[in-house]
Amino acid sequence: MNLFKRLTPLLITSLLWAIPAHAVPPIQEQQLNNGLQILLMEAHNVPMVSMQLSMVGGSRFDPDNKGGTATLLAAMLGDHTARHDHEALAQLLDAEAIQLGAGADREGLNLSLTVLKEVLPTGINALAEALLEPGWNKARFRLIKENAISAAQKAQEEPGTRAAQASVELLFSEHPYGHPAGGTLASLKNIDLADLRRLYQAQLKPEGAVLAVSGDITMPELLKLLEPALAGWKGTPKQPLFEISRADDVHGATRQIEMQTSQTLSQLVRLGPARRDADFFPTFVLNHILGGGGFGSRLMEQVREKRGLVYGVYSYFIPLATSGPFIITLQTRADQAEEAEEVVRSVLQKLFSGEIAGQELKDAKANLIGGFAQRMDSNRERVGLMSMIGVYNMPLNYLQVWTQKVESVTLADIKIAAKTYLDPVQWNLLRVGPKSRVEAREK
Amino acid sequence: MLSLRWLFTALLLTLIPTSYADAAELQQATFKNGVKLIVEEDHSAPVAMVQIWLKVGGRDELPGKTGLAHVFEHMMFKGSKKLDPGEYSRKISAMGGSDNAFTSHDYTAYFETVPAKEVNNVLHMEAERFANLKLRDEDFQKEIRVIMEERRMRTEDDPNSHMFEELSAAALRLHPYRNPVIGWMQDLKRLTIEDVRAFYKKHYVPGSVTVVVVGDVDFKRIEKTVARTFGRMRAQPTPERFNPEEPEPFGPKRIDVTLPAQLPLLAVTIPVPVWQPGENDREAAAIAIATSLLAGGRSAKMTRELVDREKVSFSAAAGYDPFGMGLDLWYAYGVLGPKNSPEKFESSLWKLMQKMGDKPASKKELAAAKKGIIAAEVFARDSLYLRAKHIGILETVGIGAAHQDEWLDAIRKVTASDVQEVFRKWIKPGRSTTGLLIPAKGGKS
Repeated sequence: MNLFKRLTPLLITSLLWAIPAHAVPPIQEQQLNNGLQILLMEAHNVPMVSMQLSMVGGSRFDPDNKGGTATLLAAMLGDHTARHDHEALAQLLDAEAIQLGAGADREGLNLSLTVLKEVLPTGINALAEALLEPGWNKARFRLIKENAISAAQKAQEEPGTRAAQASVELLFSEHPYGHPAGGTLASLKNIDLADLRRLYQAQLKPEGAVLAVSGDITMPELLKLLEPALAGWKGTPKQPLFEISRADDVHGATRQIEMQTSQTLSQLVRLGPARRDADFFPTFVLNHILGGGGFGSRLMEQVREKRGLVYGVYSYFIPLATSGPFIITLQTRADQAEEAEEVVRSVLQKLFSGEIAGQELKDAKANLIGGFAQRMDSNRERVGLMSMIGVYNMPLNYLQVWTQKVESVTLADIKIAAKTYLDPVQWNLLRVGPKSRVEAREK
Repeated sequence: MLSLRWLFTALLLTLIPTSYADAAELQQATFKNGVKLIVEEDHSAPVAMVQIWLKVGGRDELPGKTGLAHVFEHMMFKGSKKLDPGEYSRKISAMGGSDNAFTSHDYTAYFETVPAKEVNNVLHMEAERFANLKLRDEDFQKEIRVIMEERRMRTEDDPNSHMFEELSAAALRLHPYRNPVIGWMQDLKRLTIEDVRAFYKKHYVPGSVTVVVVGDVDFKRIEKTVARTFGRMRAQPTPERFNPEEPEPFGPKRIDVTLPAQLPLLAVTIPVPVWQPGENDREAAAIAIATSLLAGGRSAKMTRELVDREKVSFSAAAGYDPFGMGLDLWYAYGVLGPKNSPEKFESSLWKLMQKMGDKPASKKELAAAKKGIIAAEVFARDSLYLRAKHIGILETVGIGAAHQDEWLDAIRKVTASDVQEVFRKWIKPGRSTTGLLIPAKGGKS
């Protein structure tokens, strides 16, 4: 058992780290005839290849009241094909230690592959088969759906799951981002196999999709395998990634979710910037000062280091095709929740009113810029970064210019970002925990 | 056109396919005061992982003082003679690195990922705080509250972790794996700064230190730096690790744990041997393969039989850690859906394991299980953190990092009858302790 004293960043999607330009391996790009974008970083130190195929088919495309459709679709694609039932596919993959995964987040439906270099052809063929020859087995669908419903019920034991569901419902209500990517206990029950097939037909197309690859392979070798495997795949998604409106702002609301826990989980939420917004970088640096930077961030200093109220307190925003959530989260013994929330509000208030020193900005930038190299030192991490760059159509030199973008953020920029995002009265509050503070279960 | 050198490299690559899971050569040095250094050079990127491993963990705590080893994971960041509280991490991040720490029953480790040119600085800083920790009561009073919040978050408010904590305590009588690393809440409330200082004096001694560095470094240079830092500390007695022999179980045990929860979880734990190179290679590797057949890969028998065919749980898994001290508390569990019954799951699980004792695994199954374990080692080499961690664990639990390649050799040699023997000798009902998480009535949370 590992007990980490420090904090693992909660959401890597909100972060991009700086790296000295010379240390970034270049991203190679190719486009297949069907429009699929291939991005590659070569890394020849370990005889393995990792890749992720991201398609514009995530949970925001779930039909109304059927949240979880994309997740179930991913599970079905990864489970069996028209040629191999789930047992045959399992044997085929296990025989060569091929790791084929499938999942969905808010925007993308992703298939992933990690293989030893020597069995890459088998791996790519399996990925292509999963994508292009779905089996749509009814019995498997019933089991996968039933198990997903059980898992959703089990997940209700976690305060974080409760808070996540409540926060997206509060911030986005009827908006496509307004349900958890995996669906809920209620919404999963409404899903039929036909819903999966419709989503598959409408959205899982090569135009706008990205295959990010990192590992012991070159572009010519890769194309030689991919072109025949994906030859039959054609088309454009019915709805493109950026066709989405911004949700209306919700300000100053409060929600209480009852759980019999010893701690209260307090979450402050509002809308944050989108991935391609002009104020992305100032807000990114501002968030590092607020609570994105772990130790040294204002929230951590005030709530944990000064007062010992929490193990962790973090802030992060999830930049999507349009405004996603901006979240501050902490857990503390239930009778201390109000005190901790007060401290968070006073931290927000100070930043909002412009109390930010030049030195603090300098330190934050140095910390961000310095800490990047190690975040790209594995195939899996490189694949994640390239997927983001491809899906959101960022320039291919994004990693190289990232350092300059952070460096060029000024004190005036972050003061404007603080005025935009950190007004304490605009944040909404969610509490998950015991109804009465006195009832806190403590042994 | 391909140069000769390139052609030669290409040839070499094709000639060494079978051993690539094996680690690069480890270079080692031991200093007079007992400090050990292990380096694995990898020049593929200008970064390095520095890990300071200590032969102290939860197992070394005295009764009533559980959680003390983990307290240091917090206090090591609270200042030393030369550094103020928090300054350590600020300096690491200013050099473009990141730092962290972890504690288990068997070890405590502090680590930094940094640009390779900063490794010498980091080693100086690590040695300084190791030797000159401040340990102020005011800092401790705050940190112990933080640790209690950590425990509430990880254990008190997570019914599944809570059940596993109870189950470990019920399964073992002597072995320290019965106590949680984070400590019992009752003990945490009573720990004092005097306890912390006494533990520091006893356990933070040079003889318990292994410095592990993996990355773009030169062994000779690192050796010099360690000689000037950790190597220069005054030798002190190194306490013997607490590693009692667990008595054999005399029959099955069982506990019910009733907590606010949504759905039941049933887990079986069994004490099994850990790997001792040259002593039980075949047996430990067979337990690893048996566990992999049950719960590894897509064809895992627990998934196939219990989840897919019999539908007695919606998820099921098992785990074995061969790299522990004294024994491993092997486990298998099922997470039950609203229609499942714990009795059915339990009897199906034992029937499955009985069958694995009676009938040999097919050649295909055995080959796939081995391939999965070997491939996982290759994939782990993609991470400096995991490579250094594996070296540190082997060294700290007493296996010895020099033996690391022998594990895969042992895995390759396992036969179908070795695997059957595991279910006849070790994984059997009479040696097991079963725990059931029962959702509390009226507890709709």
